[in-house]
Amino acid sequence: MHRSIGFYLRIYGKILVQDIKSKMSYRSDFIISTIGMICTNIAGFVSFWILFQNFPSVDGWSYYEMLFLYGFSLVSLTPVQCLFDNNWSLRIYVYSGDFIKYCFRPINLFFYYQSEIFDIKGLGQLAFGIGTIVYAWAKLGLPVTVLMILKMIVFLITASLIMIALQNAAAATCFWIQNSFYVLDLVFRFKDYAKYPITIFSPVFRFIFTFLMPIAFIAYYPSLVILRPDEIPLLSWLSPVIGLVFFFLSYKFWMYGAMKYSGTGS
Amino acid sequence: MNLKKYLTLTRAGIIESLQFRLSAFIMVIGNMLYLIVVYFLWKAIYASVGNEPINGMSFYDTLIYLVLATALSGFMEMYTVWEMGRNIQSGKIVLDLLRPMEYRKYLFWSYSGSFVTQFFFTFLPTFIVVAVLTHGAIPLGINLLYFVISVVMAVSINYSIDFIVGTICIYTESIWGINIMKQVVVMLLSGATVPLAFFPETLRKVVSCLPFQSIYNAPLTLLLNGDPDPAYVLQTLGIQLLWVVVMLLAGKLFWRVSLRRITVNGG
Repeated sequence: MHRSIGFYLRIYGKILVQDIKSKMSYRSDFIISTIGMICTNIAGFVSFWILFQNFPSVDGWSYYEMLFLYGFSLVSLTPVQCLFDNNWSLRIYVYSGDFIKYCFRPINLFFYYQSEIFDIKGLGQLAFGIGTIVYAWAKLGLPVTVLMILKMIVFLITASLIMIALQNAAAATCFWIQNSFYVLDLVFRFKDYAKYPITIFSPVFRFIFTFLMPIAFIAYYPSLVILRPDEIPLLSWLSPVIGLVFFFLSYKFWMYGAMKYSGTGS
Repeated sequence: MNLKKYLTLTRAGIIESLQFRLSAFIMVIGNMLYLIVVYFLWKAIYASVGNEPINGMSFYDTLIYLVLATALSGFMEMYTVWEMGRNIQSGKIVLDLLRPMEYRKYLFWSYSGSFVTQFFFTFLPTFIVVAVLTHGAIPLGINLLYFVISVVMAVSINYSIDFIVGTICIYTESIWGINIMKQVVVMLLSGATVPLAFFPETLRKVVSCLPFQSIYNAPLTLLLNGDPDPAYVLQTLGIQLLWVVVMLLAGKLFWRVSLRRITVNGG
């Protein structure tokens, strides 16, 4: 079942319009949720600000460099929030048996399932993240060239695949276990640790956060390409590939679970 | 006896929360990860200033403070806002209102069983591990008594805030947004994410006039001070008591006013 990307984009547009129409009937909920989202981002910002009132730098990272990392992590965590939020409902559909309806469409199951929900409140985080990056970028005096901005976009998009992959895999555990909410919640908390430079950890945890729970690729490795252009480690250059690989693996895992799904019989 | 009906709810809560062992296990892993991150982050921070104490807090003090703040927050998170929001939206609240017990009390006591399990399975182990790992940096004296008294009042203030925020759901019908805002404000302004000792002077003055610092900062500073000045202890506990009363009354009043506006669709 191979269709062109254009076909899928058209379908996505149609589903998106329907979803936004239904969301707009709960306008106050949308506004309050967006404000809530921005509040969490501001709180993260304020924590950094308070910390750096007392310390000049952390492990060789200045205030604005840390802010850059924070902004980078916010932007690269936006796609998982906006586009893949339906993963949170997966266990409910699977448990109730409603998941079977997705299996009967002549389009890619994973695509159809994820396209059903677009979480608009993530856009507040995107705006705040971009603002933080621009502010830090200006304060650090980094050059603004077409190449830099292109690099930034490519690395941001591929970095966003990491959290998407982690969440897909965590959500897909519901095909096997009952209490999968806690797995998803645990993995979702990983994202809060993406904003710290990986060098603060001991070698053991550096290894864990790089290869086993690859949160270092959400912000640290990719942003080194922009922040420290003189000493870019190999892992930074590899981060787009790693993002793609993890995404592909999680997709296969998710689909494997879905294919095993046999419904509830009702 | 009057107390008996409350304790029945506590017992039911204990039995209920013991059912979810896998979730408890995963939560412990999640907390461990958080503590590892906190440990390395603050180690790096203190290394950058040559491991000198900052604003009277040494590395161990900060670590104990933040670790126990996490343990306390696991202890105090009652999901009241979610529970109230969902009950209001689904209409189940009507059944709860019919019970021969004030809704505010019913909600609290039906959750209280988790206090017992959380205390023995999360807080106590964390406390012992921290006390051992920091080689007795937690003073064990009269301060423990002050800490316990302070925590009891903190639980009450925290519940009152939750109840007030939950009542707002009657008006907004938005649970996620309201709850996340509450969580962010409480965690930041109570000193649970960054100890209040690190706040800049003016901000600390503002925050000390708000109820939030009575939830985490008050009990934890009382715990860390092995030789407390009686005037300071009295002042801290006095302010807490004041907030207990104020927030309790505010919550009750707000609930009574809001209840008239409640609309339940179907049932």
